[in-house]
Amino acid sequence: MFLQFIFSFLSTLGFAILFNIPKKAIIKASIVGGTGWIAYVYSNEKFHSLIVASFIGACIVAIISEIFARKFKETVTVFIIPGIIPLVPGAGMYYTMLAVIKKDFDKFATIGSETMFVAGGIATAILIVSSITRMIFQSKENKKQKI
Amino acid sequence: MHSSMKNILALAIYAGEIMLKNGAETYRVEDTIIRICHAYNIPYVESFVTPTGIFVSVDNKNNDTEAFTFIKRIQFRSIDLNKISQVNNFSRKLATSYLSVEEGMNILKSIDTLPKYPRMLKIIGAGFASSFFGLLLGATYNDFFSSFFIALIIYIAVSFVDRLHSNLFIQNFIGGAIAALLAILSVNINLGINIDKIIISSIMILVPGVAITNAIRDYISGELLSGVARSAEAIIVAVSIAVGVGAVMNTWIYIFGGI
Repeated sequence: MFLQFIFSFLSTLGFAILFNIPKKAIIKASIVGGTGWIAYVYSNEKFHSLIVASFIGACIVAIISEIFARKFKETVTVFIIPGIIPLVPGAGMYYTMLAVIKKDFDKFATIGSETMFVAGGIATAILIVSSITRMIFQSKENKKQKI
Repeated sequence: MHSSMKNILALAIYAGEIMLKNGAETYRVEDTIIRICHAYNIPYVESFVTPTGIFVSVDNKNNDTEAFTFIKRIQFRSIDLNKISQVNNFSRKLATSYLSVEEGMNILKSIDTLPKYPRMLKIIGAGFASSFFGLLLGATYNDFFSSFFIALIIYIAVSFVDRLHSNLFIQNFIGGAIAALLAILSVNINLGINIDKIIISSIMILVPGVAITNAIRDYISGELLSGVARSAEAIIVAVSIAVGVGAVMNTWIYIFGGI
């Protein structure tokens, strides 16, 4: 598990450099990526479903990113974009394409739909977390205005 | 008053242009433009941003002055999260402390010309990103080395093609084709072992993760138009990678009868 964290940490670090994120945020973004991956691996073992695992992993990434963004006064994107990368279903896309080349359309349908659901799961996770944080901050602001 | 309103608008547009050029979500760009205009006490601002252009109108609600409208077309987009974060901080700073328009313009200019990481570091970053991603998928150490070098070559090739102002399709097609070709070669010379893991990890640097995430974030904020535009971009990228990889693999199978 620790080795997995190191690998995903370094992978996210590479992407962080590619995306040119601010110097002081690189290590933090890599921590986000590593933690998200660990959550993904752990929930994959627990629930035996790639879709659920990606959803939980992306949720963790989004939550930590929102916290980091507020704590270190950076934009959320700086943490979310590199952090989400290890979860992106690149393997699923590849196997879908391979199935098309081999004209194996049954496999294409099963893997393709799973890949779509994984991408959807990641997306909904980010969507849910960021709308909830927005609602929380809005309600805090509303309270302030009442006082 | 007349010219100063024009200058403020130019400042806001410039800030928006920097953000959009470097891959910010459209709602964030609209937000920044409105925040900058409000910081200079312009009462009426309306901005409409799509991934390919910015439209802003300002008016000071006097009957004797005319409203201004600017349009800015954005042609080339890349990803530079550092600049987005810097412009964001700049617009926050404007809200709390006063800066003259000239000072603001100078700050934005210095942000726009901010250096990226050195090319060498980015190339190695690409290698790191791919090869460690491969290990996550359970690749062996042989695969690790081959995907490291393949990612380096892909990154160099794609950034070379990018400098020729080619379109998205060609860039990702070439990236995918190189990935497949080199992966097959590396397995044939007994350097790599799992061909699929090498290909998957080396195309990771091309995969449109950012485009998808941004598209979703645009959808959430009700920016349906740019959400659609960005998802279309993501689909084009994904398809062109697949076409690149698929074309090479099919040709190889056709010529040599197997991988």
